[in-house]
Amino acid sequence: MTPTSIYTKHPDYVQRDIAGECILVPIRRTLTEANSIYVLNETGAALWNRIDGQRTAQDIVTGFCDEYEVAIDELAKDFTLLLDDLLSIQAVEEIAR
Amino acid sequence: MIGRDKLSHLPERFPYSCQWEITCRCNLHCVMCYTDCFNHPDAIHRELTTAEILRIMDELAKAGTLELCLTGGEPLARPDFFQLYEHAIRCGFLVTVFSNGTLITEAHANRFAALPPHRIEISLHGITRETFELVTQGRGSYDRCLHAIGLLLERQVPLVLKTTALTLNQQEILDIKRYVESLGTVQYKLGEEMRQELDGGGGPFQYALSKQDLTDLNQRDPDLWRDARRRDSVEPPPCRSGMHSFHIDAYGQLQLCSGNRRQSYDLRTGSFQAGFFEALPTFACNWKAPPAPTLIQPTMHYA
Repeated sequence: MTPTSIYTKHPDYVQRDIAGECILVPIRRTLTEANSIYVLNETGAALWNRIDGQRTAQDIVTGFCDEYEVAIDELAKDFTLLLDDLLSIQAVEEIAR
Repeated sequence: MIGRDKLSHLPERFPYSCQWEITCRCNLHCVMCYTDCFNHPDAIHRELTTAEILRIMDELAKAGTLELCLTGGEPLARPDFFQLYEHAIRCGFLVTVFSNGTLITEAHANRFAALPPHRIEISLHGITRETFELVTQGRGSYDRCLHAIGLLLERQVPLVLKTTALTLNQQEILDIKRYVESLGTVQYKLGEEMRQELDGGGGPFQYALSKQDLTDLNQRDPDLWRDARRRDSVEPPPCRSGMHSFHIDAYGQLQLCSGNRRQSYDLRTGSFQAGFFEALPTFACNWKAPPAPTLIQPTMHYA
């Protein structure tokens, strides 16, 4: 994760709240993804909801730590993993660095 | 942090999966069809409007429904089908479309490819033109159906082909299955269930295969035989209709399932939330265990 990077959500993913779980549904899925939906865990969902195309990755991590009692290094590591996953399925894209 | 999976932890009662018969209109008149009795102008006039369907669909999305099956009749016989379909996709439903395939043009296939469904299930009731059109009662339907299958395959739209086992096509079912297998990525389903028509008519049953015929058919194919034996060897699970799944008919009536329409809740006048959580639990179902008695509870006594 580059701290100054800014990410935006890809419009080809629809976020759904299903029975308290945050899931991402790709609306332009390929044949191999036909049965796939992506389920975010609680932290993943909270971070996903902060990706807005304006805040930097560092801002998101700092803001999250201000709200919840969580070690910043740990969270930065989690956010890096989440971003890697989201980038790999093209649910987000980096729009500035 | 992110899993590629299906949801597993749903509350006991949650409106996860909807089968929606958006019309009884159809360009064909299949001999075993249970909705064709309402495929006439008077009944069609009473069907939900575009605006009503979109409003109810938004209610389903808000309630958390994920799986949405659009069926008919022939869903594409509605002139607004793609407006409804594309709205459903953009709402984030996993959309399945049941179709006879014969109305799917190249332009339609392109629209499906641009916003792909979870899958399209097309009925393939014969492998020869003669048998196929004997079932569908529609001249030219065989060629149009195969053409549609080709269009969707070219565009890699997830596809399932299925056949209802009938006296008219029983000699072709294994050939249909082999044809489907030759297509590679396409799944095949064989349906054995025959339904009474929605107006109470029993016409479809004259085409039903006997139990022995079905057994003979299944025994001739290892996959079908394995599935049949599995079905016969285990007690069917308790019916879950109204718990995680529900049905809406072409007139906006919310029901437990497509096969049980004895009681309905009118979504034209009431909210989906009230219909699913307050009305459906009171609807009768022959396949559900009766509720446990609350006045007398069995106890164990030890001397």
